[in-house]
Amino acid sequence: MKKKMFVMVCVLSCLVLASAFSSGAKEPTVAGTVGGTVNVYSIMPEKYATKVFEAFTADTGIKVNFVRLSSGEALARLIAEKGNPQVDCLWGGPSDTYEAGVLEGVFATYVPAEADKVPAKYRSAQGYWTGIGIIPLCFLTNDDFLAKNGLKAPTSWYDLLDPAYRNGLQMADARTSGTATERIYTLVKIMGEDEAFAYQKKLNSNVQLYTKSGAGGAMPIATGQAASGVFYIVDALDIQQQGYPLTVSYPVEGVTYGVEAAGIINGAKNLEAAKTLMDWAASKRLGEVMVADSINYIPTRPDVKVTNPALDMTQVNLIEAEAEWKGEKRAEYVNRWVAEVIQQ
Amino acid sequence: MAEGYRGMKKQRFVLLKKDPALFSTLVIIWVLFGIFIFLPVFRLLLAAFVVDGKPSFANLAAVMKTSYNIRALYGSLLLATTVGISGTVLGYIFALAVTRTTLPRWGKNILSAITILPLISPPFTSSISLTLALGPNGMLLQLFGIENFTIYGFWGTWLSETLTYFPIAFMVIEAILNTMSANLDDAALSLGSTKWRLFRTVTVPLSLPGIANSFLLVFGASLADFATPLILGGHSFPVLPTEAYLLITGLFDLKGGASLSFLLLVPALIVFLMQRLVLGRKSFVSVTGKSGARTVFSGLPVSLSVIIGIVCTIVSAFVIYLYAIILWGSFVKVWSVNNTFTWEHYAYVFQHGKKAILDTLAIALVSTVLGSILGIVIGYVTQRKTFPGKRFFEFGSLLNYALPGTVVGIAYIIAFNQRPLLLTGTMTILVAAYVFRYYATGIRAVSASLEQIDPALEEASLSLGAGSVRTFTHVTIPLIMPAVLSGTRYLFIHCMTAISATIFLVSVHWTLLTTRILESMTELQFSQASAFSIVLILIVFAGDAIMRGLIKLSSMKFHQSVREVAHHE
Repeated sequence: MKKKMFVMVCVLSCLVLASAFSSGAKEPTVAGTVGGTVNVYSIMPEKYATKVFEAFTADTGIKVNFVRLSSGEALARLIAEKGNPQVDCLWGGPSDTYEAGVLEGVFATYVPAEADKVPAKYRSAQGYWTGIGIIPLCFLTNDDFLAKNGLKAPTSWYDLLDPAYRNGLQMADARTSGTATERIYTLVKIMGEDEAFAYQKKLNSNVQLYTKSGAGGAMPIATGQAASGVFYIVDALDIQQQGYPLTVSYPVEGVTYGVEAAGIINGAKNLEAAKTLMDWAASKRLGEVMVADSINYIPTRPDVKVTNPALDMTQVNLIEAEAEWKGEKRAEYVNRWVAEVIQQ
Repeated sequence: MAEGYRGMKKQRFVLLKKDPALFSTLVIIWVLFGIFIFLPVFRLLLAAFVVDGKPSFANLAAVMKTSYNIRALYGSLLLATTVGISGTVLGYIFALAVTRTTLPRWGKNILSAITILPLISPPFTSSISLTLALGPNGMLLQLFGIENFTIYGFWGTWLSETLTYFPIAFMVIEAILNTMSANLDDAALSLGSTKWRLFRTVTVPLSLPGIANSFLLVFGASLADFATPLILGGHSFPVLPTEAYLLITGLFDLKGGASLSFLLLVPALIVFLMQRLVLGRKSFVSVTGKSGARTVFSGLPVSLSVIIGIVCTIVSAFVIYLYAIILWGSFVKVWSVNNTFTWEHYAYVFQHGKKAILDTLAIALVSTVLGSILGIVIGYVTQRKTFPGKRFFEFGSLLNYALPGTVVGIAYIIAFNQRPLLLTGTMTILVAAYVFRYYATGIRAVSASLEQIDPALEEASLSLGAGSVRTFTHVTIPLIMPAVLSGTRYLFIHCMTAISATIFLVSVHWTLLTTRILESMTELQFSQASAFSIVLILIVFAGDAIMRGLIKLSSMKFHQSVREVAHHE
């Protein structure tokens, strides 16, 4: 009786510690089996990743365990877990995230079997990552807004400066979103650095909100809370296909595009399975699965036929921007964006 | 120096001899603190303030160079203070309505249910229905013909956080108002006091521990909240936790983000000390062994009742409206475009979300049990016992609560990703993150409740020959049970719905409902997210109903045990 409180706390701490060590010790034995499973952080949205990995498991018999994270969260975790990686692959997400991870020593090199069929600009020169799809920027505009204001969907970056859009634009915040940095790269490629930031300063007065995720503004535009915004095509088509009254358009000055990539983590515990996943990602199969399941990336393999006309890039002015240049300039542009555009 | 050390050693020795149960309890709790609070924070401190092997403020100086982050510090303080005040006031008003008005039973039940709605849904869910109501072209704005109202910024964030966190204040204050002795009301009135005077000079002063504790909790919750400002803050109103999150996940600057987060500890420490100063010297004892027959509380002055009625009606209507949007959203095919009724989102939830639901339940149940036990023990020893290092012990126990969750999450990964403490990817790391963060409410509720209870009750038990453990289990615990259970309720709710720290701790083996909701949100599946939210809310409601039943039971027992003790005395 006398020791009741003591016993209680003892039991409590034993519980915590015992579960800690038992479950901690379990990990390596699970991870030791080769070929059976591969653990993945997916930046690709869950609904797409589920379909893609189902096809992969059907093809190879390898089971995929995955968690979906935003690109920033995924990289922050990979860096923090460097000493003892919890996953074998990173799946999806823009190539500049991979370039930033390479600098931190997060990725291992592996050149997939059919990598030479993927154009060189869609993969890492050193073999750290391989492109699995490309996604250009586009404008997404609410049809009701256009009808009410007697406007046509914007076809130039300068159309967005129209006072009709005052307090009506939603687009991503450069500090959190790859979509936003892509927007800055495009503007710099078109206008040059100083002019690009001067333009964004003017644009700022039409912006209602900078959202934290790249697709965050799409729903407000779909429901009429906002008028228009700049998105990756995959997010724009996704919401349009749900049935909202929206128009997707491209600026005549052109857009850059993001390369969605995949890569193996340094110290991966299921290395063979991870390599199989990368081989599969570089094969025609992945592209075919994406086309069949209407996952709106443009496959990196030129020999995969795209059926969705919205993904037909022959009418779109695509601007090249090298991954190394993006990686180099990213921090500088983001800081300048904070200092000059949102803080004015 | 040596003298002081010997002195301390002697003190410890005395403690060991005089109260061995307390001594061993303290040792065990210190070890747990060491592993789950100090180790992660220490590892993070190393990351933030050690550059090239030397202590340095270079990382902090670098992030504080931009005036944007200074504005964020100011924004955080302004927001936390205003939310702390408005949340506590609103919580007090609701607590009065439930404990002191002649509102019929069902009316009180509805009010209590409404107050937990904002608590039991993840913060971003209500933020999003708030933007649908009050955002650009929002439904409410159109209804009232208001133009040029911008929700993004201070006011939107303040409104959303007040609605989200006033239930914490409500829970703490309701427990206090319930356990207050009604005899004081009788005494005051029979001595000729008016009801106003009674309210001003008896009820309010006696509830000060509850007010101070709930201010501390709401202030802390708002200070550490990153999700609400992330959605509603916009770029004109930066706050520190959000900026730290953006630094870590956006610019991959872990060191900068970590040092920015440590800045948050300064205001947390100041409020903690202020609370000590305010409450330290006064006595709030109203539950003694000398009470007579239990009588009912006297009512409130009419004017106050009217104000309370108006405020409660408006706030309740608004909260119901916000959640009606979510409920409606979960049953329509495509939100606001194709409004045909469908069950398909619920089918999806139970087909693809089953693992998340079961994982969440398991983690929440384990965390609630462990966290409650720890909360009681810590609350008790800090309130009733004296021992060396007590203030540090008390503040240390609340450290994880004061730090932004995302930072705690990162610190946990860094600290627990190596042998012998290899916890990443396990259930333990999620449980530990929840327990050592959200048991704070339990601790505060217990210590606030103990402030009210005359130590003479325990002394009587001791002098009658019961040991300190028997006294604790047979006298103290029954007396503080209502407060303990309200802390437990909050712990359970938070374990079901919180997201900040766990965003970095979910793994391929353990996933949570809240991260699934956030995922559905980012995938723009608003209806799916709504269905997930409704399922989560129903589960928590069920769990909460059970706990409320227990509270009622223990509240009856409480008044019974007060009488019994009084009788024995």
